[in-house]
Amino acid sequence: MRTLRYTLFALLIVAAMLLVACGGTTEPTPAPAAPAEQPVTEQPAAETPTEAPAAASGSMTDLVLMGWSSSPAENERLQQIVDQYNAENPSTNWILSQVPDYDTKLQVSLAGGSPPDAFYVDAFKFFDFQGAGALDNGNDKIENPDGFVPNLREAFVAEGQFYCPPKDFSTLALEYNTAMFDAAGLEYPTADWSWQDLEDAASKLTDKDNGVYGMVITPDMARWLAFLYQAGGTVYNDTATEMTINSPEALAAMNFYAGLIQKGYAAQPSDVSTGWPGEAFGQGKAAMVIEGNWIMSYLKDQFPDLAFGVSQLPKGPAQQATLSFTVCYAAPASGKHLDDSWKFINYLTGDKGMAAWTGLGLAMPTRTALQGPWSEKYPEQQPFIDGASYSYPWQFVSGFQAVLDTMNSGLQQVFAGLATSEQVLAEAEQVGNEVLSR
Amino acid sequence: MASGIKQQERQNTIAGWGFMVPALVIFAIFVVLPIIFSVVVSFTNWNGISPPSQADFVGLENYKRVLIQSGITQTDFYTALKNTTYFALFVVPAQTILALVMAVVINQQRLRFKQFFRVSYYFPSITSSIAISLLFMLMYQKDGVINNFLSTITFGLWPPVPWLNDPRGLFHIILGGLGITVQTVPSFMTTVTIGGVTLWNWISGPAVSLLAIIIMNTWTTIGTMMLIFVAALQDVPLQVYEAAAIDGATAWQAFRKITLPLLRPTTFFVVTLGLIGTFQVFDQVYVMSSGGPAKTTLTIAYLVYREGFRNTAMGIGAAIAIVLFFIIFAVTMAQRRITEGKPEE
Repeated sequence: MRTLRYTLFALLIVAAMLLVACGGTTEPTPAPAAPAEQPVTEQPAAETPTEAPAAASGSMTDLVLMGWSSSPAENERLQQIVDQYNAENPSTNWILSQVPDYDTKLQVSLAGGSPPDAFYVDAFKFFDFQGAGALDNGNDKIENPDGFVPNLREAFVAEGQFYCPPKDFSTLALEYNTAMFDAAGLEYPTADWSWQDLEDAASKLTDKDNGVYGMVITPDMARWLAFLYQAGGTVYNDTATEMTINSPEALAAMNFYAGLIQKGYAAQPSDVSTGWPGEAFGQGKAAMVIEGNWIMSYLKDQFPDLAFGVSQLPKGPAQQATLSFTVCYAAPASGKHLDDSWKFINYLTGDKGMAAWTGLGLAMPTRTALQGPWSEKYPEQQPFIDGASYSYPWQFVSGFQAVLDTMNSGLQQVFAGLATSEQVLAEAEQVGNEVLSR
Repeated sequence: MASGIKQQERQNTIAGWGFMVPALVIFAIFVVLPIIFSVVVSFTNWNGISPPSQADFVGLENYKRVLIQSGITQTDFYTALKNTTYFALFVVPAQTILALVMAVVINQQRLRFKQFFRVSYYFPSITSSIAISLLFMLMYQKDGVINNFLSTITFGLWPPVPWLNDPRGLFHIILGGLGITVQTVPSFMTTVTIGGVTLWNWISGPAVSLLAIIIMNTWTTIGTMMLIFVAALQDVPLQVYEAAAIDGATAWQAFRKITLPLLRPTTFFVVTLGLIGTFQVFDQVYVMSSGGPAKTTLTIAYLVYREGFRNTAMGIGAAIAIVLFFIIFAVTMAQRRITEGKPEE
C-alpha cells in the first residue's frame, strides 16, 4: 500500500511539473496582464512627465511593437512616442520591444505563428517577407500614401500594392575632415566633384607615415553599389530575369573603388585598427568616408570636437547617384488586432508621429511635407536630404543574399589583391543568374 | 505468494516509469522532436518565415543542391567543408598535445603553486566564449597586442597584419614564398574543380583570419581537455612508475611506455570531443568574422545559420545540418578505428 502511495505521489509531481511547463507555453502574453494600467516605461521618469490617465480598466489590449535597438536617444524618443499614443488611446496598450539579433527573432516569431502586432521591415528584407506572405497588405489602410517620397514608397510596393509605410530613411553622403582639407589647402568637396577629383583629394590627404589615409572604405556591396549606379550600371534588368552586373560600367566602378585601395589612397578599417569607417574618421585616421546619417550622432557622441563637413557623393561618369536605406512599419498577415495595428502605424508614420520621431535629427522623414522643416532644423544634413531624389533603394529581389555574399567576398579578394575585378563580376553574374532563374 | 511478487514488480515498474517520465518528456520535447523536425524540414523548401506547414515537400532536392548540383549553394558548402576541415586538423592535434603536456606538468608530485596553475589553465574554458571573442578581436587588431608582441620579439621584422581581415591562405603564403603563386601554378590547378572549389583553393590551408580563430579556439578549449587528462593521470597507479624507475627507465621512457598507453582511452575521448567541437564551431565565427573575409572563416555550422536565417532557405540549412551530422559521425568512427585499432589488453 505504501508503494502505491509513493507511486501516486510521484505521478502527482509529474503532473504538476507538466502543468507548470505547459502553462508557460499556452499563455503567450509577454507581460503580466494585471498591472498593465501603467505603461511599461524603462526610461528615466524625469524625461517624460508620465501621463497614464488610463483609468478605464479591464478592456485594455496588450500589443507589441517589435524593433531593433538603435542609439539610446532614439530608443528613448520612440518610447515617449509610444507612451503618448497609449495615453491618447486607452483601449490599447502598446509595448515597445527592442530586441537584439532582430532578424532571427522576427523570423522565428513569424514562423511560430505569434508575430508582434507591428514590426520593422528593412527594405532589404521586404521581398523575402512579402513573398512569404508574412505581411498584411496595407494598400487600403495606409493614410495619405501620396505624401511619401515616391522612390521610398516604391521600395515597399509589390505587385502594385503598397504594403507598409516607410518610417524613416538614410542616404549615403561624403563626410570630410575640414581641418585636414584646410591643412592641405584643398577646396571642400561639392556635389560637382568627379571621381577624379575624389581620387586627387584622397591622394593629397594621404599621409601613411602618420597613419592617415585619404579615405577609409569597406569591401562592401552597400557602398560600391553607389559607384555602380554613378557609372550608369545596373545589377539586373528591369524584370529581374537576367544579371547585367558584368558590364563595362561595373568594371569601371570596381576598378575605381578598389583602385583607391590599390593605389594606397584609401585603407580598410582593419588596416587602421578600427571597426568601421566612422571610427577611423572620428579618430582622424581618414580624411573622407562614405556613410549615411547614422554617422552624425555617432560622431557627435564619441568625437564632439571633430570638425567635419558633409557633401553629396561625387558625380560619376554617367549620373549623380547614391543609395538609400529605409525601413517600414509592417503589420503581420496573421495579426489578430489588425485594426489596432494600422491605427498605430498610421499614427507613427503620420505627420505628427513622424515629426516627433525624426525630430532628433538622426534619421530623415519620409514624408515630403516634413522634409523642408527638417532640413531647416538640421541644415548641416542637407546633403543627405538632397540625395533622396536621385537615390536608389538598397533592395533586391527575394533570395539575393547569396549574390551579395559573393560580391562582398569578391570585393574583399580584390581589395586583398587575390582576384581581379573581371573575375569577381563574372562570378557575381553567374551566381546572380542562378538565383534569378530559381 | 507468486502473485504478491508480481504485484510488487508491477508497482516497481510503475514507480520507475513515473520517475523517468519528466526526464523523458523533456528529452522528447527538446531533443527528439527538434531532430525529427529538422530532418523533415530538410526535405522541404521551407523559407523559415511562413508557417512550416505551408512549405512544399521537395524530396532530395536540397541535398542535391548542397552536395551534387554545381551552383553557389554547393560551392559555399564545400568551401565551408574545406575551412572546417582545416580548422579541425589544426585545432584537434594542438589542443590534445598541449593539454596532455600541461596535464603531465600539473600532475607532477613536487610542483609548487599547483592550484594556481590548475585554475589559470582552466580559466579560459569557463569564460563566456563571446567575451573571449570580443577580447581577442581587440588583441588581433593591426596595432593590437599580438602584433606588437610579435614585432617586439622579432626586433621589428614582423610586419603587422590585420589578422581577422586577411583572406590569404597559410599554405598559399608558404608556396608564394617558394615562388609558386596562382599565376605560376600549372593551369589544371585553377581549372579543375571539386565541388565547385578549384584544386588551388582546396590546398590553400587555413586563411590568416581562420588561423586567428584556430589559435583562440585552441587556447579556450585546452583547459577542459587538460582537466580530463589530469583526472586520468591520477588513476595511473604510482607503483607502476616506481617499478619502472627501479628497472632504470628514464622519465621519457616512462612517459612513452606507461603514461601514453594507459591514457589511450582518455586520448580517444579527448580527440572525439575535440573533433565534434571543431566541426560544430559557430559562436566565435558569428562574433568575430561572420564568415568573412572572402568566405575564409565560413564554417559548416555558420553556413547552416546563414542559409536558415539570412538567406531564407531553412530547407537548405536543415539539409546541411543533417549532412554535418553524418560528417561528424563518419569522422568519429574513422578516428575510433585509428586510435583503437590495436587491440590492447
